Amino acid sequence: MLKIIIPTIMLLPTALLSPKASLWTNTTTYSLLIATISLQWLNPTYFPHKNMTPWTGIDQISAPLLVLSCWLLPLMLLASQNHLQQEPLVRKRTFIVTLTTIQPFIILAFSATELTLFYISFEATLIPTLILITRWGNQPERLSAGIYLLFYTLISSLPLLVTILHLHTQIGTLHMPTLELTHPLLTHSWTGTLSGLALLMAFMVKAPLYGLHLWLPKAHVEAPIAGSMLLAALLLKLGGYGIMRVTLLMGPLTDRLSYPFLALALWGALMTSSICLRQTDLKSLIAYSSVSHMGLVIAASMIQTDWSFSGAMILMISHGLTSSMLFCLANTNYERTHSRILLLTRGLQPLLPLMSVWWLLANLTNMALPPTTNLMAELTIMIALFNWSTPTIILTGLATLLTASYTLFMLSMTQRGTLPTHLTSIHNSNTREHLLMTLHIFPMLLLMLKPELISGVI
Amino acid sequence: MAALAGCGRALRAAGAGMAAGRSGRRQRSAAAGTVSPAAAPLGAAAGPHHGAEEEDGMWAVQRKHPETHGFAEEPAADARNMRAAFVAGVSVALVLGATFLRYLPDYGLRQWARREAERQIRAREAQGLPLVTPDYYDPARLPLPPAGD
Repeated sequence: MLKIIIPTIMLLPTALLSPKASLWTNTTTYSLLIATISLQWLNPTYFPHKNMTPWTGIDQISAPLLVLSCWLLPLMLLASQNHLQQEPLVRKRTFIVTLTTIQPFIILAFSATELTLFYISFEATLIPTLILITRWGNQPERLSAGIYLLFYTLISSLPLLVTILHLHTQIGTLHMPTLELTHPLLTHSWTGTLSGLALLMAFMVKAPLYGLHLWLPKAHVEAPIAGSMLLAALLLKLGGYGIMRVTLLMGPLTDRLSYPFLALALWGALMTSSICLRQTDLKSLIAYSSVSHMGLVIAASMIQTDWSFSGAMILMISHGLTSSMLFCLANTNYERTHSRILLLTRGLQPLLPLMSVWWLLANLTNMALPPTTNLMAELTIMIALFNWSTPTIILTGLATLLTASYTLFMLSMTQRGTLPTHLTSIHNSNTREHLLMTLHIFPMLLLMLKPELISGVI
Repeated sequence: MAALAGCGRALRAAGAGMAAGRSGRRQRSAAAGTVSPAAAPLGAAAGPHHGAEEEDGMWAVQRKHPETHGFAEEPAADARNMRAAFVAGVSVALVLGATFLRYLPDYGLRQWARREAERQIRAREAQGLPLVTPDYYDPARLPLPPAGD
């Protein structure tokens, strides 16, 4: 653990003290090396549960998410290098420091064994993300986006804090391995039901659940590329992971309390997929597709069977990489045309044929093409839900159909069709962008060969 | 034929120089039904828009250094950054990382589970015990309350 955390924290002086010519070289290279070392967390002799330090541990649910979070930092740095080119050196350093500050908190959040530490790191990731969105976003709407993100998360997480502290006084400990052995505390009384709701709501907002998702399209669209990648690939997974951890505390409540969340999650997957078909803004389309996929994750986490947890895990990892790649591709469009509107960024395949290869691959994985891990995840979740309740197959089947249709819509709008006449020149794709897409897609392709790495407890 | 000759004249006139735009236009009006090339480079009429694109960072860098990799403006730093990112990203992280993950021993204890199951079956068949019992715990070890309470 220390061999990851200490180098990550030392990236902060690296960013602050590197000379101008090697600022990006140093930070990108060292964060890639940290990501390589983080692969040792997938070593199976650690499982089912390894205590890395007295306050952190790792098991098969948190290991893939930890590796994903270490992998994403260099990708965020690569993606941001261009739009920060013109900024003064101090601002570049501040940007990298903001990104790097989030990293230790995310690592702590995913590896915390104590629920209070998880809560503190969960909240701590919020402030640098807010700084990233409101300072480096491109449109004036970013202020509204920051407010939505901040207040949605804070309002839902305050009851979580109260409930965590209350449970601590009742049970005596919040150490998660110990909590698995205690008797369930919450009953079907009003106190118990409200405690259960309070425990879940913060993660439902973060995941996000369909009725509480309004912050997500705003935040994803207004964030700079690094912010969008961070939000889509990591912070949403904090919600899914939190639900998985917190449902072990909820005991007998979930057999009644899960219904509203399941209904909203599955219906939300349908609704947001349909909204995607009506989007004019490319980043907004990708943001709503994130809500749709995470709706499936929430539904799977709420029924708490072995297969559904496994499917939720695979979907979180696959969706993290796919969604981040789609945002990077949308950003390459935005840097050339300075517009996110689909009608204005059409027909790019003849202009940028190499980039259209990456567009194709990203969209194929997004629509869960076999044999990608996205398909494995969606199928596992659909089967687990079908086993739990037969009519859910209608909802999940329709959601899969709509996912394929809006993904094809996105692909055909950006790549095919007539070129808009106002584009007189766009600059060529460069090595940095191709490397960025390679580093996104290759882990996904390699995971197809060994999916048990990300499949959680199975 | 006359149309083609007119087209050829228009082409030569336009190719003679941009100052021949006037003659190009004359040729165009003279030879009806021909397609003559534009009298000026495409986009030159849209003055401010074209100028704004020159300020676009990446565009300017690509014009100045066509072989840029997109990491930095100055070619030496650009090449250094590209090489460092590729070595750390592809050679170390993807290749060495994938090799490490591929050779991880018995992930998820699946091969062990198979071996253990076969061993248990052999042991139980040798002792004549049933392979699976409906009681998870040995009932003799469970202190149950007396019946009738």
